[in-house]
Amino acid sequence: MGNPLLTFWKNLFDPDDEDRRARRATLRVAAASSAQAEATIFLVLRRMRAPLIVLIVIFAVSVLGLTVIPGQDVDGRPTRMGFFDAFYFMSYTASTIGFGELPDPFTYNQRMWVTISIYLTVIGWAYAVGSLLALLQDRAFRSALSLQHFSRKVSRLREPFVLVAGYGRTGELLGHSLDRLGRRIVVLDHDGERIDGLELDSYHADVPGLTADARDPGHLAVAGLDHPSCEAVVALTDDEEANLTIVMAAALLRPELPVIARVTSRALAERMDAFGSPSLVNPFDRFGDHLRLALRAPSSYQLLTWLESGPGGELPARGSPPRDGRWVICGYGRLGRELSADLRAEGLEVSIVDPAPEDDGTPGLRVGDGTDPWVLAQEDLDRAVGLVAGTDNDTTNLSLVAAARRSRPSLFLVARQNRPASAPLFAAMDIDALLVPSELIAHEVYAQLSTPLLWRFVREMPERGDAWAAGVVDRLTAVCGTRLQAMWKVRLTRREAPALEQRLAGGSLRLGDLLRNPENRDEPLSAVTLVVLRDGESTLAPDDDFVLRAGDELLLAGRPSARRALGTALFVESVLEYVVSGRRVPSSWIWRKLTSEPAPPG
Amino acid sequence: MNLEKVVFGFFVVLAATLNFGFFIGDISDPTLHNPYELFAAVVVNLIATVLKFGDRTQIGAVHLATSLVAVLQLVTASLAYGYAEYVSSAGMDAGWTASVVSLSAGALLANVVSVVLLVVETVSFHRG
Repeated sequence: MGNPLLTFWKNLFDPDDEDRRARRATLRVAAASSAQAEATIFLVLRRMRAPLIVLIVIFAVSVLGLTVIPGQDVDGRPTRMGFFDAFYFMSYTASTIGFGELPDPFTYNQRMWVTISIYLTVIGWAYAVGSLLALLQDRAFRSALSLQHFSRKVSRLREPFVLVAGYGRTGELLGHSLDRLGRRIVVLDHDGERIDGLELDSYHADVPGLTADARDPGHLAVAGLDHPSCEAVVALTDDEEANLTIVMAAALLRPELPVIARVTSRALAERMDAFGSPSLVNPFDRFGDHLRLALRAPSSYQLLTWLESGPGGELPARGSPPRDGRWVICGYGRLGRELSADLRAEGLEVSIVDPAPEDDGTPGLRVGDGTDPWVLAQEDLDRAVGLVAGTDNDTTNLSLVAAARRSRPSLFLVARQNRPASAPLFAAMDIDALLVPSELIAHEVYAQLSTPLLWRFVREMPERGDAWAAGVVDRLTAVCGTRLQAMWKVRLTRREAPALEQRLAGGSLRLGDLLRNPENRDEPLSAVTLVVLRDGESTLAPDDDFVLRAGDELLLAGRPSARRALGTALFVESVLEYVVSGRRVPSSWIWRKLTSEPAPPG
Repeated sequence: MNLEKVVFGFFVVLAATLNFGFFIGDISDPTLHNPYELFAAVVVNLIATVLKFGDRTQIGAVHLATSLVAVLQLVTASLAYGYAEYVSSAGMDAGWTASVVSLSAGALLANVVSVVLLVVETVSFHRG
């Protein structure tokens, strides 16, 4: 701001608070990044200088020569070409159109000069056009163009969007589940191939993507970190350090935004925690928790994985892992450590095999290669109940699983799949519990982002016990079959449920009365209420006698038709009256007056 | 000494001098205004404009703007000259000559601004 008066004015009426400062900082970094794009265009202009000057000079010399060299007209009188004739002739000759010798046939003197200038101009054109095409192919120029295109697209977004930094396999899975919910995403990845792949992906909405290093706050700002509609930042790169930088940038520039980051090491998780309170997803930690849950309550685990798989998810099979006995863990890396701690906490006996463990002080640790038959034989697989193939090498994991199955077919097998390409092999192996870190992270992040209610349900559900979860699974399968259908949220406020207002005030509206088919109220709606949130207290899977109150938030799962039917009942009073009490009430004012039925009890 | 600066200064000053040479003389007398000089002025002004491409400084931007103005004026002047010579039945009479020369006078003003900018830039350059 150059004008001191303007500065004074701004200081007087615009008190600096924390938020504004942060906002200005983001604007600055965004500006820095777009200035970078502008710089590239200036560079292009600079590089076009030489070809343009060569072209101008060649043209000028040829035109000048034509005007100076004497010619003759049809009658043989000496004449000279004017500037306009010369320029006209050179324009069509240089661009190889060639209308012939105008206005008069040339003399030999003129033709000699024209021969020279034809060769000169062809060289000039070829040089200029060649340089221009080379510039258009230039990587820096193209990336500058795509940056501008991208920032224009992002700044035009008017609906809430999620900024996904790191578009690997995890980002893709998450993007598709969010897209199916009708949410917008903006994607940032340093791998150009992944971003180019966006165009081929079948997204419903347009997904702006930029090939850029997400560690640069300028790129984050261009991708919408400073955009008012940005609702969350997700750091999913495979580089822990980069994720930390993204968490930092988001926490410092937009402290109010929720941040979700992928992390696998505890040290980095603690460093991230220092910046606001990002929600961290550690795939190995979560898998350990899931395995514990699966050991203790198979139905709860089944329900959890089903709900987290998003709309269209298939009901996973209910496993029956051994409750007691000895487990063998092959591979004592990050996953091995988490799992051995979790299994020991469950009171199970654990022995570990690793070719080169970092610390030897762990009880039950055997140094050796798990794929070596002799080493496995020493582990007494006959007496073990479960085996974890948890190395970071898919081939090793597959051969471990095969070897273990041959020596004891009834063994409960847990394996870790590292590369997406190995998926068919692991599927053919029919493994009891398979960890795919990218999918696990995508499901966790989806559960957190889709609706806060689902996240609440997922966190509080394990406490309710296995039998309860089995009941919920039965209710859900009765309603939507083995494929998860729509999941939606209803808020019983005046805006979202105007028809319900009077009944809610009466305090006698039961959930079971509301969830009925508006065509035939004897049929219940094919929807299950997963959770009701009231004043920060949640009730999981309430039954039909649950009494609703104004301000309740409901999370329902069921068929899309049920969603439409419930929506009608919430808005149209006559439909609601029939659904709740069975009375057919005329919906028009005149008929209501004519029938003059007593007002419905409030 | 910087060769780039020499070339740049040469073309900026040459554009102004050629323009001045065409402009000087009785405004309505066609014999005092040589069309070759106008042609040279157009070409040199075009080259000077291209030389100013891609300078990101504030003064570079003003340089480019003045050059664009000069080129615009000179091209208009040559169009007027061509019209008078080939299309108009009156030919290069006093009125047309006055139009062409006054258009080139406008270009001269822009070129003078360019030269002033060049001088200002040179004077404000501190060594070390």
